[in-house]
Amino acid sequence: MEMFLMVASMSLFGLAICSLAFAAATRTDVTEPAAQPDRVPVPAPQFFVRDVTSPELHTMVPIEALLLQIERHVRLEQAAGESFHFAPTAESLHMKTVSELVH
Amino acid sequence: MRLAQSELFADLTDGEAKAIESLGVPIRLVGGDVLFDLGGVADSLYLVVQGRVALTMPITVRGREQDVLVEERGPGQTVGWSALIPPHRFTLKASAPLGTEVLAIPRTALSAHLEANPAVGYRVARNVASVIGQRLQVVQAMWLREMQRVVTLTMP
Repeated sequence: MEMFLMVASMSLFGLAICSLAFAAATRTDVTEPAAQPDRVPVPAPQFFVRDVTSPELHTMVPIEALLLQIERHVRLEQAAGESFHFAPTAESLHMKTVSELVH
Repeated sequence: MRLAQSELFADLTDGEAKAIESLGVPIRLVGGDVLFDLGGVADSLYLVVQGRVALTMPITVRGREQDVLVEERGPGQTVGWSALIPPHRFTLKASAPLGTEVLAIPRTALSAHLEANPAVGYRVARNVASVIGQRLQVVQAMWLREMQRVVTLTMP
């Protein structure tokens, strides 16, 4: 009986050791990922698609708007020229303009 | 608008103005119509009766040729000075931005009339000189203002 109990306890002890060793071998580290430094996301390459965020496009004035600006500029300059004709002074000649074309 | 009130026929009596008016042919234009093209033969002088006439010249904007407004003429004002000055070719394009009526006075008929009536011819020639002189001064001032900008930009 004593022999049986000893063998049984030894077996249980051995089983416990094996279980601990197995658990240690198969354990996976579940640690928090380290904070990544801030990086600008790189957009996926898009073939045949124009980059709509291009600053050049934002600053491009439509041709119709540009022609209207030129027309307004000419009218303002003509008015300035007529002012000079009726009151010819250096001040009236170089009077400032509000034309968007020169600002 | 009475012809005698126009810049070209100022100082003429109503009778003298009517005699010149009878030489003309009224032309009605709708918005967008072209009265004459740059480089065309200038055989008529045009008096704006109502509406407006836009005088444009071509400039290149972003690689495309565009007509850009140079001057605009209204009732009582005249367009087509090239009809009076050799080589009688238009140096601008004239079009109507809106419904417009002009009186087209043929150069040959006008010249014959003014030669036959020298007193009228003198006053008309004086008016022509006055209007051309005024426009020359305005254009000189416009040119000088642009020059000033170029100088300021290139030699700050």
